[in-house]
Amino acid sequence: MAELQIKATVNGRKISRSAQPSQRLLDFIRDDLNLTGNKEGCGAGECGTCSVFVDGVLMKSCLLPVAKAQGTQIDTIESLAKTGELSVLQKAFHKAGASQCGYCIPGMVMAATAALRSNPFADREEIKERLGGNICRCTGYQKIFDAVELARDVQNGRLPATMLDGIDAEQGDYIGKNVSRIDAPSKVSGKLKYAGDMLMPDMLHVHVLRSPHAHARILSIDTSAAQAMEGVEGVITSADVPGEDGFGVFVHDQPVMARDKVRYVGEAVAAVAAEDPLIARRAAAAIKVVYEPLPAVFSAEDALRPGAPVVHAYAPDNITKHIPIRVGDVEAGLAESDLVIEENYETQAIEHAYLEPEAGLAYVDHDGVVVVISPSQNITHHRHMLAKIIAKPIAKVRFIMSPVGGGFGGKEDMIYQGMLALLAMKTGRPVRLVFTREESIASTAKRHPSKTTLRMGLMRDGRIRAVAFRMIADGGAYGLSTEGVMRKAAILGAGPYVIPNLQMDTIGVYTNNTPSGAFRSFGALQTQFATESHLDIACERLGLDPFEIRRINMMRDGATTHTKQKLKSVSIGRVLDAAEKASGWEKGVSGQRNGRGDLNGEGLRPAVALGARFVGDTKQEAAE
Amino acid sequence: MLICDEYLTPVSLDEAFAAMHQHRGRSRIVAGCTDTLPWAREGRAGDVEIPVLIDVSKIPELNDIKVDERRVRMGAATPIQRFLDNAALARAMPEMPRCAVWFADDQIRAQATIGGNIVNASPAADVTPCLVAHEANVELAAMRDGRIVRRSVALRDFILGPGKTVLADDELVVAVECDALPGYGGSFEKVGHRRSLVISIVCLATLVKLDAQGRNFDEVRLAIAGIRPVPRRLHEIEDFLRGGPLSSARLEEAADMQLDLVQSRTRQEYRRDVVRGFLVRGLINAAKRAGADPDALTPEMEAAYG
Repeated sequence: MAELQIKATVNGRKISRSAQPSQRLLDFIRDDLNLTGNKEGCGAGECGTCSVFVDGVLMKSCLLPVAKAQGTQIDTIESLAKTGELSVLQKAFHKAGASQCGYCIPGMVMAATAALRSNPFADREEIKERLGGNICRCTGYQKIFDAVELARDVQNGRLPATMLDGIDAEQGDYIGKNVSRIDAPSKVSGKLKYAGDMLMPDMLHVHVLRSPHAHARILSIDTSAAQAMEGVEGVITSADVPGEDGFGVFVHDQPVMARDKVRYVGEAVAAVAAEDPLIARRAAAAIKVVYEPLPAVFSAEDALRPGAPVVHAYAPDNITKHIPIRVGDVEAGLAESDLVIEENYETQAIEHAYLEPEAGLAYVDHDGVVVVISPSQNITHHRHMLAKIIAKPIAKVRFIMSPVGGGFGGKEDMIYQGMLALLAMKTGRPVRLVFTREESIASTAKRHPSKTTLRMGLMRDGRIRAVAFRMIADGGAYGLSTEGVMRKAAILGAGPYVIPNLQMDTIGVYTNNTPSGAFRSFGALQTQFATESHLDIACERLGLDPFEIRRINMMRDGATTHTKQKLKSVSIGRVLDAAEKASGWEKGVSGQRNGRGDLNGEGLRPAVALGARFVGDTKQEAAE
Repeated sequence: MLICDEYLTPVSLDEAFAAMHQHRGRSRIVAGCTDTLPWAREGRAGDVEIPVLIDVSKIPELNDIKVDERRVRMGAATPIQRFLDNAALARAMPEMPRCAVWFADDQIRAQATIGGNIVNASPAADVTPCLVAHEANVELAAMRDGRIVRRSVALRDFILGPGKTVLADDELVVAVECDALPGYGGSFEKVGHRRSLVISIVCLATLVKLDAQGRNFDEVRLAIAGIRPVPRRLHEIEDFLRGGPLSSARLEEAADMQLDLVQSRTRQEYRRDVVRGFLVRGLINAAKRAGADPDALTPEMEAAYG
């Protein structure tokens, strides 16, 4: 290995350090220089949170071999607020509430800095375009664009600098008011440490060996070659679990690492802790697993068929959870309806794609307490489950929640914390695991793909008489949050409407797909997509305005829901009024209007196009 | 991840060829690295061990840009960003700034090179159709019997198919040389799933030169990509339009020519619709930038295709 000697100027300081030829500039600044402000979100040049200036030009440091930094001037997010005083852009990000989870923000601030350097007068469209290489999953971007416009106007003197001052909440009055985010300065400056930014003395690096099979029996696992490698400090498999090996938000059906069989591609089979990430990677590749492939099942419908492969022995029908709700007499309700509409609806799996891939550290402290630091959205439950898994009293297990770089439900599952704890216990050293983006996508929960059959009976005046609703959802290989998602789907799926006769079935099913789990809206999205689409179809058939049919059927104050919950106040009426007004709704029957009235007119947004930076040129061209 | 034992950064062609010779069979040429690093990840090539990487982006000749009224010569390591910040290049290749602004994103186009885009030979490459419209030649060099041997290959002959070129394993792409087309109006139409970091589903380079009145086509060049294994010049449409009037009817007729262009594996119907729309829109945009008479085209047509 021919080490490189990198001489460069980093954030104004001259450095000369050796580096490995395979390192990327991102690895060098984060791991060797401990400048962890810029993050790794994808490692493939897609997300932009690693963006740094190289000789004044913004580049993605995950795409730069470190050798390219030779003799250059590198400026990271840490360069922008070196004296502790935030830059105008950083203050504007704070003021505008542009940082939420914060993980994309270092890259966003860098891209915005580059944008305003290139064109201090860039308009909103040009700002969008120049920030196009950066992905945010929390904000929906609007507040980020607001922040860049605010900074631009302050820089250009169009707005006073006092516009960047913080917002003082009126004493004790927070609801319905703008308040300053107290965590924003740490996020816009890159100072906040996410789990993947944390270091511990003597720390080992973890790599996980994952299943290439959707369904297979594990005949043997031979870790001897990996164990024998220099720099490898610990290798674990399910045989290393001392206690009750199972976790899950509802049913504890998932082992820390695959036990006896694997149930999906990407399932953890073994894990290695080693002195550096490359050794850990190579050691994991040296573990020999002999599999006997089993027939696998890849859709919820197939899994429900008699004779389908059984994913879990405890559930021979492959049903994770079925929630049935019955109100009134649906068949009678349908029979007395003027119109019965039946449709099928499908939704697909969706990845949360939080910008921060899973990461965590674990160590055993001086009192023998096993400590896990991770961006877990459910640390108390994780603590209880881990205590059973490692067979220790609850007082000997501690979870510390690191900043969550986006979760959206995807970090509720204890998918890797068990491995960290076991490796810390086995090696007696702190261990850290940082997922790659690919690993995050392959191994963690998705939104449940769903298939819904919906029969709705309506009267000519638009009143709903009866609804028969059946959703089957692909829960994947393990239970995770499926039960809760099915419950919420059954509770919320029929919408905030008065339905005298209702039959609701939501059925979560085991398959050999990547497990499904919690995701914002928790089952309401799949079901309400069906219900609301169905109402729009009903409008077309009945000649009603879509707002009108919802007003006709909406619950009102004092209503009792189909799950017998009494609602003191119901806000759908106000929500409909506000939505109708804000959207500039043109009254009428669905499907009978022409064209799009929301583009390109005065006061309306432009159609999406690229080339905003040429707008000036075009005007010039026209003038010529 | 991409794992190497050595990363070499030669600063002359001689040094580069010496390294290529010494590490033949165990090395790979890189420049911008914006394709190589994502390629060496799980789901694509996975972990790749290449003993020696030879980075040619620091060789001065590969960064040289020469532009005159007739010809353009760009070193192979020219980053795509140059089309946005080098005024002489933008004047000689008026469609290229429009292409560049759609290329990846602001960060990547500062790093990605024109040579890399050509050698990758992706059917969806954005730079290639533009260069095909400029009748580009690829200049290749190799060290043979102790001296540097060069050859020039027309770009249309250089790319054989997806990922395949005529580049020999001891050869380097040194430069691209093509027609300068100052005074032309240029457009680049592209569609993908989003506006940044998007791979073309269809892309079309259009270059138009009009007569002094802005009413007749003196010259037209069109090249399309993303819909077949290699980019294609649309000589049939160029011949039809050349010398004729710039009018809504002519553009519609041109777009209706049955050329069976779409050979993609997927979404053929959609792509055929897009190709038709792009032909009209590309010609309108390029003609306007070439100084078209504002009355030459009907407002209805401009609204429909704008």
